[in-house]
Amino acid sequence: MRGVRTVAVTAVVAMALAAPSSWAQPKKLVFWTHWEQNPEFNKFYETRGKDFGQKTGYEVQVVTVPYQGYEAKYLAALMGKSGAPDIFMGMTHHWCGQYDFCDKMPADLARTWDENLPKYMLNVGKWKGTRYGIPIEHGNFQQMYIDTELFKKAGLDPDKPPKTLDDWLAAMKKLTVLDAKGEPTQVGFALRHKGHPVGITDKFLPFAHAFGARMLSPNLEKATGFANSAEMVAALQFYSDLVNKHKVASTAFPTPEDAFGQKRAATIFRESWFFGWVKKNAPDVAFKVYALPCGKTCPGAGNLFPWTNMVAKSSPHKQAAWDFMKFISNAKDDLDQHQAQGILPVWTANLDSAYVKSRPDYQSTQEMLRQPVPPEYYHPKSNELATAFGEAVVAALYGKGQPKPLLDEAAAKMDRILRD
Amino acid sequence: MDRQRRAGLLFVLPAVVYFGGVFLVPLVESVIGSFYRTVPGGLSQFVGTRLYVKVLTDPTFWQAVGNTLSLLVMSVPVTVVVALAVALGLHRLRSLEARSAWAAMYFLPFSVSLVAAALVWQWIYDPVYGVLNHALAGLGVPPLKWLQSLDLVRPSLAAVNVWARLGFDTMIFLAALQAIPAEYYEAAAIDGASAWQALRRITLPLLNPQIVMVAILELIFNFKIFDTVYATTQGGPAGASQTVIMLLYDTAFKYFRLGDASVMAVFVFVSLLLVTLLQWRLFRRQVEY
Repeated sequence: MRGVRTVAVTAVVAMALAAPSSWAQPKKLVFWTHWEQNPEFNKFYETRGKDFGQKTGYEVQVVTVPYQGYEAKYLAALMGKSGAPDIFMGMTHHWCGQYDFCDKMPADLARTWDENLPKYMLNVGKWKGTRYGIPIEHGNFQQMYIDTELFKKAGLDPDKPPKTLDDWLAAMKKLTVLDAKGEPTQVGFALRHKGHPVGITDKFLPFAHAFGARMLSPNLEKATGFANSAEMVAALQFYSDLVNKHKVASTAFPTPEDAFGQKRAATIFRESWFFGWVKKNAPDVAFKVYALPCGKTCPGAGNLFPWTNMVAKSSPHKQAAWDFMKFISNAKDDLDQHQAQGILPVWTANLDSAYVKSRPDYQSTQEMLRQPVPPEYYHPKSNELATAFGEAVVAALYGKGQPKPLLDEAAAKMDRILRD
Repeated sequence: MDRQRRAGLLFVLPAVVYFGGVFLVPLVESVIGSFYRTVPGGLSQFVGTRLYVKVLTDPTFWQAVGNTLSLLVMSVPVTVVVALAVALGLHRLRSLEARSAWAAMYFLPFSVSLVAAALVWQWIYDPVYGVLNHALAGLGVPPLKWLQSLDLVRPSLAAVNVWARLGFDTMIFLAALQAIPAEYYEAAAIDGASAWQALRRITLPLLNPQIVMVAILELIFNFKIFDTVYATTQGGPAGASQTVIMLLYDTAFKYFRLGDASVMAVFVFVSLLLVTLLQWRLFRRQVEY
C-alpha cells in the first residue's frame, strides 16, 4: 500500500514539474475603478485583458471600489504600496499632483492621446504639462435631460426646450405640482441638495458659469473676488430661490437621479453616462437631452471631476500596465467600451460615429461643445476648495443664511486653503 | 523570572501585541504626524505646532465639535436612563423565557451592522416614502424632513444611536441587577421601604460601577460616531451633522491633509481621556455586597 502511495505522489510531483508553462497562473494587472455605476464599461478591461493575456501572459483583474469612500481606500493602498493596484482610475491633479503616486506616461502613448482627444480635453490627465492619465469620459459635463411626458402634461412642447434661464424657470414653475399644503409632489428640477458638498458644488457650477461667475481666479490662486463676486451671489440667489421661493425644486426629495427616474422631477442636469443609467434603471421614462440653458453666458462643457486612468508608480508591472493601456488605446476599443455602457466615447474619430449620432444627446453635445469652454478648477486641493464652496451653496439652499455673507465666508476659507 | 510569572506574561502577550499594533502604534504615529504637513508631491515637512494652531482656530472644526457634543448630550443620558429602565423592567419579569425573549429583542439592534442599520433608518426617515411620516400622517402630523432639516437631523441621528446601543447597555444593567442579593430587598421590605426607596437606596448605589462604565462607554461611542452619519447624511445638511470623526475622515482622505487629521485624532484622544478620567473620579463609588 505504501509503495502505491509513493508512486502516486511521485507521479503528481513529476506532472507538476513537467507541466507546460501555460498551466501556470497568469500574471495579473490589478485595475481599480470606482465607477460602480458603469459595470459594462469596467468589464471591458477584463475582456480585452484576456486578449492581452494571450500575447503577454498578463491578464487584467478589475476591482470596483465603491465611490463612497474610495479616496480612503486608494490612499491607504497607494501609500502602503504592497496592496496597491497597477492601474487606477481617479483625478490626475489629486493622485499625481497632491501626491506622487503616478508613473509618467510613455511619450509615444502620450502623443497618441494628445493627437486623438477633443481639444477641450487636452488638459485632462496632465499635471504641470506632463501627461499621466488617460481621459475616459467625454461628455463629462452636464446637459439637460427632460421627461417628455411630464413636459406634455404641463402643456409644454418637449421639442422646444427652454434656451435661457428665464424661460427655464418659467417652464419649471409649470412643471411643478404642489399639494394642498403648498409642498411640491412633483418638481420641475431635480436638484442635488444632499451628500458631500463637493457634489453639490459640481451641480451648482453650471448655474454659476451661466451667470458669468467663476469659483477661482484663472490662475487658481485666489477665491475672494471670484467665489463671492456679484455674479456668483446672483447665481446662488437664483439657485436657492428654486427651493425656497419658487419651490420648483425640493430638499425633501431623494437623490436627483431617483427623483427623475421616479417621474417626480421633470428635468435633471447630468453627464453623458446618465443616458445609459436611465435606460437601465428607469426604462419607462421617455426623455430627451438638450444643451443647458444660458444666462448671461452659456455654461459650456466643463466639469469638476476629470476622470482618468493612471499607472501606479509603485507597480512592479509598470511596463505591462502601460503596454495594456497602449493595447486598448485605439478608436475601435474606445468606441466598443463606451458603447457597451452607453457613454460617449473619447476619441475625436468616434465623435461622429453612427453610435454617437444615434444617441439622444448627439445634437446637445455638439451644441455644448460649440459654447466657450467654461473655467476649469484642476487644482490639487480641488476637493477641499469645492467643499468650502459647497458648504455655502447648501447653506443657502437650506435657508441658513444669505448668499452674500455665505459666499464671503466661503471665499475667505478658500483663500486660506489656497495659501496653506 | 519565575515560571508562573512567565506563564502570566505569555498569556497576556497576544493581547499586548494586538493592542500595541492596532492602537498604540497608530496613536504614536498620529502624534508624530500631527507635527508634519503633506506637501504636493507627497513629501512631509516638519511644521512644529503650526497645524495645532490652524486646526484649533478653524471654525469648521469647532462646529464639528459642537455637533458632536450636541449629539452626545442628546444620546448618552437617554441611552443610559432608558437602558436602566428597560433592565429594571426585564428584571421584574418572573418568567425566565419571557425575560430572555425580551432581552434578545432589545439586544438585536446591537448585533446589526451600523451602516446597514443607518441605511434602514434612512428609509424610515425618508420624508416622502418613510414609514415614520406615514405613521405620523395618521395622527395628523405633517411630513417632517428628519434628516434634511437643520433642526431635526441631530435628534434623528441621536435616536438611531439610542436604538443601536440600548440593547448592549440593558444587558450590562440586567447582569448587574441579577447579581444584587435578594436579601437586601427583603430586609428593606421588612423595614417598610417603598419600591422607590429600594431603588434609590439599594439598586442605584449598587449599580454605580455599571452606570459609570456604561456612561463612559456611551460617551466614547458617541464621541467617535461615524458610521451612521457617514451612511445617512454625510455630515449634512449644511454641515449640521458633521461630527469630529467625519471631519477627520474628510480631512485625511478627501483633502489629503494627514497632518491636520492627526491633530484632530490627538484632540479626540486627549478629550476622551480627560473626560473619562474626570467621570471616573467624580462618579465612581466603592461598592461592597
